[in-house]
Amino acid sequence: MRTNLVLELQDVPGQLVGVLDPIGTLGANIVTVIHQRDIKTDKGMVPVQITIEGDQNTLDVVLKKLEELNIQVMAVDGIVLKEKITTLLIGNIVDRDVKDTMDNINSLEGVRVADLELKLSENNQDSSAKIVVEAEYGNRDIFIDKIEEIADIKDFKVINEV
Amino acid sequence: MRICLMGFGAVGQGVARVISMKNDYLNDKYGLDLKLVAVTDTSGSAISSEGLDVDLLLETKALTGKVCKYPEFGIPDLKNSKTMDMVDYDVLLEVTPTNIEDAEPAKSLIIKALEDRKHVVTSNKGPLALFYKELMSLARENNVQFKYEASVGGAMPIINFAHDTLPGCEIESILGILNGTTNFILSRMTREGSSYEHTLQEAQALGIAETDPTQDVEGTDAACKTVILANSILGTDFTLEDVKVEGISHITSEAIALAKKDGYLIKLIAEVSPYSLSVSPRLVKEDSPYAVDGTLNMATLKTDLADEVTVVGLGAGSVETASAILSDLVNIWKKT
Repeated sequence: MRTNLVLELQDVPGQLVGVLDPIGTLGANIVTVIHQRDIKTDKGMVPVQITIEGDQNTLDVVLKKLEELNIQVMAVDGIVLKEKITTLLIGNIVDRDVKDTMDNINSLEGVRVADLELKLSENNQDSSAKIVVEAEYGNRDIFIDKIEEIADIKDFKVINEV
Repeated sequence: MRICLMGFGAVGQGVARVISMKNDYLNDKYGLDLKLVAVTDTSGSAISSEGLDVDLLLETKALTGKVCKYPEFGIPDLKNSKTMDMVDYDVLLEVTPTNIEDAEPAKSLIIKALEDRKHVVTSNKGPLALFYKELMSLARENNVQFKYEASVGGAMPIINFAHDTLPGCEIESILGILNGTTNFILSRMTREGSSYEHTLQEAQALGIAETDPTQDVEGTDAACKTVILANSILGTDFTLEDVKVEGISHITSEAIALAKKDGYLIKLIAEVSPYSLSVSPRLVKEDSPYAVDGTLNMATLKTDLADEVTVVGLGAGSVETASAILSDLVNIWKKT
C-alpha cells in the first residue's frame, strides 16, 4: 500500500534527512522523494512530496511520528488537510457589512468560512458573530491576522481560540 | 525568625492568622519560630523585639482598625522605613497595596531591606512588574533572598513550582488564568446568562470585585502577573508597558452564549512567551484545563522535557494568599 504525503519542511540543510531517517526506521519503505527547493509555501517553507510504502499500521505510525517531530503534513494522497478555527466578534457587526467581512475572509487563499452565526443584542454596538472557518494547515496565522485587520477597521473586538 | 510586616490589610492579617495557626506545626517540623517583631498599617506601628502577640494584634486591628492601638507597644504615625530602623529583624514581609504607577512605598522599603542585607518576601505586584531586574540584582549583590510567590496566583503554586520543582526543565511559554475576579464574573455570566454589568455588581456585593474594579476587569492586574512570570520564569526583561492588554468589560452574554453552543467558554487568558506578553479574552474548550470555574486561577507551563504541566489553585483570599507567603518564609528558613 502506497501513500503520497506532502510535508512542509524548513529550507535548511539536514531537514530532509531528519525526516526520512525516522520514517525508514519505522519500517516504511520510501519510494520517491520530490524535493523542489525553488517552490516555497507562504510561510517560506519547502513542500516535499514523498511516497511511502507499508501496511496501514506502519503508515499510521509514520504520521504519528511526523506529528511528534512537529512536521506539518500538508496533504495525504492529494487531500489537503484542514483545520477548523472558531472566532468570535463583538461589535456593530450587521451595520458594518457582514457580507464584506465574509468576502474578506474568503478572499484568503486556503481559508473558507464554513459557518457564521449572528446574535443581535438590544444595542447594535454589542452584537456578536461566531465565525468558523476551514483553513488548510499552516494558514491559521494568515486568518488571525486578517480577522484582526478587519476588526481594527470596523471596530470589532476579536476573541480567538487559545 | 524575626519578621517585620509592612501592611496589615487582608493579606497582612492573613499572615498573622497563619502564624497563629501554624507556629507549633512549624516549630515541630522545621524548628522554625516565626516572630512578628514589627507591624505597620496606615495608622502607625506596633513594635516589640520579643515578638508581638499575634492574636492580640488581630483583635486590636478588628476592634480599632489601627495597629498603633496595640497595648503598650503601639506607636502612632511611625511608619515605613522609620519602623524598619527601630527594630532588628531577619525578613521584611512587604504586603502593602499594589501601586502600578511608581510601586511606592513598596519599592523603597524593599530596596532598603535588601541593602541592609535582610531577606524580603512580598505579595506586591507593583515593584516586581516595574523594577524586577533592579530588585533581583540588588538581592544577589547583597547575598539575600527575595521571594514573591504570593504575587501571582494567590495560593496557586507557580513561581517556586517552576524554579524548585521543575528546575531541569526549560519553560517555553505559560498560558493561564491569573485573575480570580474576572474568572468569577465570566463563569457567572456563562452559568446565569446574565449581563456583564449585572454580574459585576453581584461580584462587588460579594466582595469579590472591588468598588473600583478597573485593575481587574481591564486586565491590568493579570498584565502585572504576566510580567512577573515572564521575568522570573522565562528570564526575560519585560515591564508592564510591554503587555498587550484587553479586559472583559465588552464581553456580552450573547457572545458567551454563542461560544457555549460550540463547546467553548470565554476566559481572560494571559499568555507569556519569550517574545510577547498578552492578556485578552479567548475561547477555550469546555473540557480543557482552562475551563476552571469561579475565582480559581490556573496556569499551563509548556516545558521542553515534561511537555505541558498545569497548576490550579485559589487565586485570592487572605489565608490562601498567606499560605504562599508562608512557603517563601519556610524556604528562606531552610536555606539559611
